[in-house]
Amino acid sequence: MTRASVAALSLLAILPVGSRFSGAGGDGASKGAPYRTANVDYQRDIAPLLNDRCAMCHHPGGAAPFSLLTYEDARRHARQIASVTRSRTMPPWKVDPSDGPFIGQHPLSSRELDLIEQWVEAGAPDGDGRAPAPRAPVALPDDWQLGKPDLVVTPKEAFTLQADGADVFRIFVVPVPVGTERFVRGLEFRPGNARVVHHANIRIDRTSASRAADDADPLPGYSGLILRSAEYPDGHFLGWTPGQVAPLVPEDLSWRLPPGTDLVVEVHMQPSGRPEQVQPSIGLYFGERPPTRTPVMLRLGRQTIDIPAGQPRYTITDSYVLPVDVEVQALQPHAHYRLRTARGAATLPDGTRKPLLSIADWDFRWQHVYRYATPLALPKGTTLSMEYVYDNSPENPRNPEHPPKRARWGQRSSDEMGDLWIQVLTRNRQDLATLDTSFRRKVVAEDVNGYETEIERHPEDVGLRDTAAMLYLELGRPLDAARHFQVSSWAQPGSAAAHYNLGTALSLARRLDEAMREYGRALAIDPNYAHAHNNLGNVLLAIGRADDAIKEFSEVVRLQPASPSALANLAAAYAAAKDFDRAVEAADAALRLKPAEPLATTLKQQRDRYRQRRSSQD
Amino acid sequence: MGRATLLLLSVAVAGSVRLQPIDGARAAVDPLTAPPGAKAIVYLFTSTDCPISNRYAPEVRRLAQQYGPRGIVFRLVYPGRADSDAAIRTHLAEYLYRGVAEPFRDASLAFANLAGARITPEAVVIAQGRVVYRGRIDDRYADVGVDRTAATTHDLADALDAVVAGRAVPHPVTHAVGCYIADLAR
Repeated sequence: MTRASVAALSLLAILPVGSRFSGAGGDGASKGAPYRTANVDYQRDIAPLLNDRCAMCHHPGGAAPFSLLTYEDARRHARQIASVTRSRTMPPWKVDPSDGPFIGQHPLSSRELDLIEQWVEAGAPDGDGRAPAPRAPVALPDDWQLGKPDLVVTPKEAFTLQADGADVFRIFVVPVPVGTERFVRGLEFRPGNARVVHHANIRIDRTSASRAADDADPLPGYSGLILRSAEYPDGHFLGWTPGQVAPLVPEDLSWRLPPGTDLVVEVHMQPSGRPEQVQPSIGLYFGERPPTRTPVMLRLGRQTIDIPAGQPRYTITDSYVLPVDVEVQALQPHAHYRLRTARGAATLPDGTRKPLLSIADWDFRWQHVYRYATPLALPKGTTLSMEYVYDNSPENPRNPEHPPKRARWGQRSSDEMGDLWIQVLTRNRQDLATLDTSFRRKVVAEDVNGYETEIERHPEDVGLRDTAAMLYLELGRPLDAARHFQVSSWAQPGSAAAHYNLGTALSLARRLDEAMREYGRALAIDPNYAHAHNNLGNVLLAIGRADDAIKEFSEVVRLQPASPSALANLAAAYAAAKDFDRAVEAADAALRLKPAEPLATTLKQQRDRYRQRRSSQD
Repeated sequence: MGRATLLLLSVAVAGSVRLQPIDGARAAVDPLTAPPGAKAIVYLFTSTDCPISNRYAPEVRRLAQQYGPRGIVFRLVYPGRADSDAAIRTHLAEYLYRGVAEPFRDASLAFANLAGARITPEAVVIAQGRVVYRGRIDDRYADVGVDRTAATTHDLADALDAVVAGRAVPHPVTHAVGCYIADLAR
């Protein structure tokens, strides 16, 4: 009895391994005798497969280079179909078939691959005509797959892609003409020229920065990097690969689109051999109500990537422990050309390991967003982890450099990246805030590494240095912040703000003498610089020069008479100078301005203390 | 006995293969016979809807411009009957092949079989009545869906350099990557 059940168990254990390569369908037939070798035909066996798995792109006007709707189409491409399905180049689905299940997952089982090969071996017969092939309900080229959009936007002019050469990345900045805030449930990207458009990254920019970059380039769109101000909206993925349309989200999960927002659409194109016109369009779908739930976009990955030239195996890993329960909605791996394998996993608090995704043969051009058919629930304490392996050797045909060169982190396609984006929903607003705070710290600690690499490339870029310094301040690393603010102030000796920034970082690092010197420089340039007076006052107060501090805070009050915190600081300085009359007076003046909490309570406590001290002085 | 018969048969098949020009009413040609004054003929097997083949159009034009003056004739071969004459004429215009390479149809695939071509794009170089090179134009594609930023070896150009110089072609057969010729078509 015992022996028999052990055998049965081990059989069960083996089956899923076989099914890794077979997809959703049952796979029993391929283990046994060959399937209907002598008798495979197009109408009964092949047409249903092509209609179901291929026709969404392979139809006239579709994203694929040729149609596969008719017998003539299929027969003409028969050997090609057998070859690319066997190699799993097509249908394009890079993650292991056992991952998920994800929306839009349509792998071919090994039984189905065998069927196709047997059909080709038999000479691609049509069939006897008794079982007419069903035709897939394929969308016409002019149809929107999500239905009629509420708004369609498109770049003003088409971009002309040259006939020849390397891949082209072009960023189109498309204004969205809405008069009031809208709630977006989804968008559908149409490539405009499916022959050359291979994928699109879409962000939104609420600033005018991306628009300015587009305007500065005389041709439609611009070439370069997606700016930091262009981001995913409220934790939502936007993007397109051929054959994928993201379904509309429920109304309570929509994202806010304020007036003046631009869509930033980075289009990856491959020249086709002749000049091509490219003018994508984006259909937007709006909901009626504002969102009540907001997803969080987690990101695992390293910005310290530095792969020596020729290195055939370079591994990065990262992990993050969830501080709250979540439901994983979707995954998107991102890297450039040198990545070979990508893995993501979740290790539950009890040690159970759940694979998220596994890609054995990374292809930059198929960067799907993998959306779970049913969200994956993960409890608090789960460790999310990733491991990406790169090949920077000449043996990697996708290596963009020949001979190979050192590859460091960076957004350009000649650099490398390695991210696993994980979109999650929390149970409630409180968990959302907890997750946001916890994750923000993790991601900022990684972002500064990317900034350091970029600053090495562009040491003169003070904007990069200032942003990096702000992130260091957020991380509680004021000396690192001061290092970058120092260079900014050298580069802009006439900028009061640059000296003020440096002074602030030095104050936080307790380098008070140097901080005072920088505030002094800021005030020499701009004597009415209230923030500089204020911070200088704080330093003076800290080193016991209360009378000097009073002068600085008085300046702040003069410059910002409506600021209760300026008066509160002045009150503290008077108190330090033991002038409690004036301290109480300043605190009262501050309270008359009706400050918000918690300042109001603090001020009242301060004023009471000053009154006590005044009485004890008398 | 049997061996001699087979050889004869092979010569007979080769001698009967003809390529039909796409344009005009000109007579079919013997693909193994170079036009007067030409050192060699390059046949490029192509099709109207193979993206890999089409992507090579600018490279084919460059090679034709480079080697035309050195006695190399370039010809395009549309294998099978799948592409209509009208589709081929549109294709020639769109990819700027006119005046670069004369187009032919190999309706029965007799020439593809004789030369051993199975892929578009695949190059066959005929010199002195023999196939001296068959394979890829260059190594830009390692496989379908796996392409380099730029080619690192230029096999067809190397073969043509050898032919022009009267040397043996260093690698007479290479592996072409692209779309299978529709050999199952009626």
